[in-house]
Amino acid sequence: MPPRFSWPILGVALLIAAFLVAFLIVPVLTVIWVAFADPDGGFTLAHFAGFFSLSLMRESFANSLYVALATVLASTLVAVPLAYLTVRFQFRGAIVIQTLGVLPLIMPAFVGAAALQLLFGRSGSLNLILDDWFGFTLPIMQGLNGIVFVETLHYFPFILLNLSVALNNIDVAMEESAQNLGAHGWRLFRRIVFPLAMPGYVAGASLVFIKVFDDLGTPLVLNVTNMLAPQAYLRVTSIGIEDPIGFVICVILVAFSVAAMAGSGAFLRGREFATLQRGGQSLLRRRLAPWQAVLAYGWIGLVLALVLSPHLGVLLLSFSRVWSYSVLPEAWTLAHYATVFGDSSRMIWNTFVYCGLAALIDVSIGTAIAYLVLRTRLPGRQLLDHMATVALAMPGVVLGIGYLRTFRNVEIPLTGTALTASWLIFVLAYSVRRLPYALRSCMAAMQQVHTSLEEAAQNLGASRAGTIRRVIVPLMAGGILAGFVTSFITAAVEISETILLTSRESLAPMSYGIYLYMQSIAGRGPGAALGVISVVMVAFGTYLSHRFVASREAHHIARGKP
Amino acid sequence: MTAPVRVEARQVSLAFGANVVLRDIDVVVEPGEFFALLGPSGCGKSTLLRLIAGFNRAQKGAILIDGEDITQLVPWKRNVGMVFQSYALWPHMTVAQNVAFGLEERRQPRAAVRAKVEDVLALVGLGEYATRRPGQLSGGQQQRVALARTLAIEPRVLLLDEPLSNLDAKLRHHMRRELLAMQRKLGITTIFVTHDQEEAMTTADRIAVMHQGVIQQVGTPIDLYDRPVNRFVAEFVGTINLVPGRTVAGAIDSALGRIARPPDQPLSDGPVQLAFRPHTVALSSAPAPEPGAPGAHHWVDGSVLEREFLGEFVRYRVSAGALELIVDQQHTLGDAGYAPGTRISVGVDPGQLRVLHG
Repeated sequence: MPPRFSWPILGVALLIAAFLVAFLIVPVLTVIWVAFADPDGGFTLAHFAGFFSLSLMRESFANSLYVALATVLASTLVAVPLAYLTVRFQFRGAIVIQTLGVLPLIMPAFVGAAALQLLFGRSGSLNLILDDWFGFTLPIMQGLNGIVFVETLHYFPFILLNLSVALNNIDVAMEESAQNLGAHGWRLFRRIVFPLAMPGYVAGASLVFIKVFDDLGTPLVLNVTNMLAPQAYLRVTSIGIEDPIGFVICVILVAFSVAAMAGSGAFLRGREFATLQRGGQSLLRRRLAPWQAVLAYGWIGLVLALVLSPHLGVLLLSFSRVWSYSVLPEAWTLAHYATVFGDSSRMIWNTFVYCGLAALIDVSIGTAIAYLVLRTRLPGRQLLDHMATVALAMPGVVLGIGYLRTFRNVEIPLTGTALTASWLIFVLAYSVRRLPYALRSCMAAMQQVHTSLEEAAQNLGASRAGTIRRVIVPLMAGGILAGFVTSFITAAVEISETILLTSRESLAPMSYGIYLYMQSIAGRGPGAALGVISVVMVAFGTYLSHRFVASREAHHIARGKP
Repeated sequence: MTAPVRVEARQVSLAFGANVVLRDIDVVVEPGEFFALLGPSGCGKSTLLRLIAGFNRAQKGAILIDGEDITQLVPWKRNVGMVFQSYALWPHMTVAQNVAFGLEERRQPRAAVRAKVEDVLALVGLGEYATRRPGQLSGGQQQRVALARTLAIEPRVLLLDEPLSNLDAKLRHHMRRELLAMQRKLGITTIFVTHDQEEAMTTADRIAVMHQGVIQQVGTPIDLYDRPVNRFVAEFVGTINLVPGRTVAGAIDSALGRIARPPDQPLSDGPVQLAFRPHTVALSSAPAPEPGAPGAHHWVDGSVLEREFLGEFVRYRVSAGALELIVDQQHTLGDAGYAPGTRISVGVDPGQLRVLHG
């Protein structure tokens, strides 16, 4: 029988609760409170009225909604055919499509934005060619649509991955029974296949919506400020942390995030259609007819070219001496890397320290919560899980502003330094924001450790602490490492909190460096070089975490476990 | 219900690459018959069923319903109802929506659909479950829904793929009787696939035993049990003893000695197998009579190797000369039976022998 109560367990639980309350709940509540409080501390809607009375704010609101919805739509158009191709047809492109699902995610959208400007902008490579040959140009990167373009290329994999999994889990008998009863073709797709895959689509689409709606880095790099997140940032940094409009924007961001998550959650409830039966088969894969193959490979090729363009653009940019009004750079150099390693080695170092510490905190708390939830019967233990998961719905802008406001007068004991002006704030902000990733990874890992393995250790005389140290943690190692790496790499490319919390350049991490460099034409080269370094880091980290998870699965298969 | 139809497979062959799944299948299912395809997994029985439903295409041969060739017909135009092994109920629809699906695909008017759904749900006893989702039902209820969904379209033929394999033993026996009663009531030509010989024997009018893509024998349950045509059928349907022998001038020589040729069985010279069921063998503690002594049985000396108590009867493994035989003896109150190691006489009744070639 798992323990219901013991002092060490309660102590750990309270410690984690205190951490989450202090660095997640209080900052978020502070933001909400400021948005609704009048100067005397009473409740007021005046700030909201103020928000909606400003035409810039109304415009920003509409723009943010437009960009998020348009990105969902564009991502759908890109991802749905790709997902359908992989599960429906037998062909060699499937592996390419799987790669497509990962490639965009290893480069943050704001890093690719500058490169895409050079490739697809008004005087970018594509339009120079089009103008030269055909005498017209495509306004791909103009204004809001430029953001939609950049975000779509970055976020469509969320829909692709979720939808592919859902489609793959449809048992072929689901389709055959419909055919047996008289359905086929489009009606079969509309009435059976599509509804069964819908949960996967909704999960992916709501994620895309939230991510884009909350994004700060991409609009700023593309110089678009009439959207919600940039406005919140500008209000707080230019007018000051006392200005309530910034907080009103934060509440709107949170409300949409929570609504999108709750909405998709409500939709998914009771619809987890894992319909693949034991011993069942996925949908039959057909061979592509020649004309279908041409279409399929054409589409895949086009998407692949688009997906690779930011990577390629950043790489070219990082080696180019001059790249302006030309299809390709006109002169090459290694100077940007020298600049980066000379001037910005401090930023690279900062990233490793902040993200390393944050990831360490995340896996420690993640493992502890997993243990408390899965292995004890401590009352209220689920609350810790729920609390930590709340961070998933919290936009970086909101947490950043919440930290600035909540801790503005807090000093780190014994040092006399303000918390908001120290490097510690990055560690705290990153760890809270990326905790859900590490937590899920640790939970999954612990769920796979059968309790009988622990009971065997205790039967042979190991104490609870000894069991955790010698049996549980070693068996969870793969999952913990995967969690660490995921936390680390996602924190390394975090930009919203980073922009808000960077008070001095000497404290800035790499992601801020990229953002800063990209602001000026002259800085693009070094910015791209720094971008390349971060992409390599993220790619390597992604590879590592896949390896950890894969080896863990292999391990379980070897032991005859599913 | 329209008049029951006759289903026929003519010279059907099918291979997946080099793997031959069906070889020259010829079988006729009579109108209104409850017909079983029986065989071990991988024998091709499910493939044959799917061929009738249109989910597989034969390389050779034809499928006919009432003489009409449907070989090239797409699945959705066949009106051949199939109940899937996994039931394949759609989780995003309610029970009623599942059942209505086929009728809607047939563009039937709303009122007619509603009435029919109510009818078939009542028929399977699930009237009050119409608004539930499949996930909220037990395995047995799910199967009834799958059946109702198929019956709703009034199919010409009902195909059941391992219909009872996902149910626990008790429910399986119950559903078996229920399925049979339903089929008798509707009179619909029904073909069902199973690997369970008991299930086939207790429900089917006739059975086709399949092995390695070939139909070994078609017959009533009693036919198959009493007159298996080959070793595979003999061993697959029930338990049987096989003793190798040779035919010699109207008699058969084997380890059991020389036995007169059974009267009703055609014999050619050469190696044969003597086949007989365990419960037709007699055991006696008296010494075996001399060969040729009068009496129905043919006795040999033996001893008990093992015994299993199964309630209604005791199953012995006995040695008789160089042979090992399985012998079932009815158990009655106070009967202690024979302990392992006991020397006994084993009596084989020539009237219960089947002679199998090859």
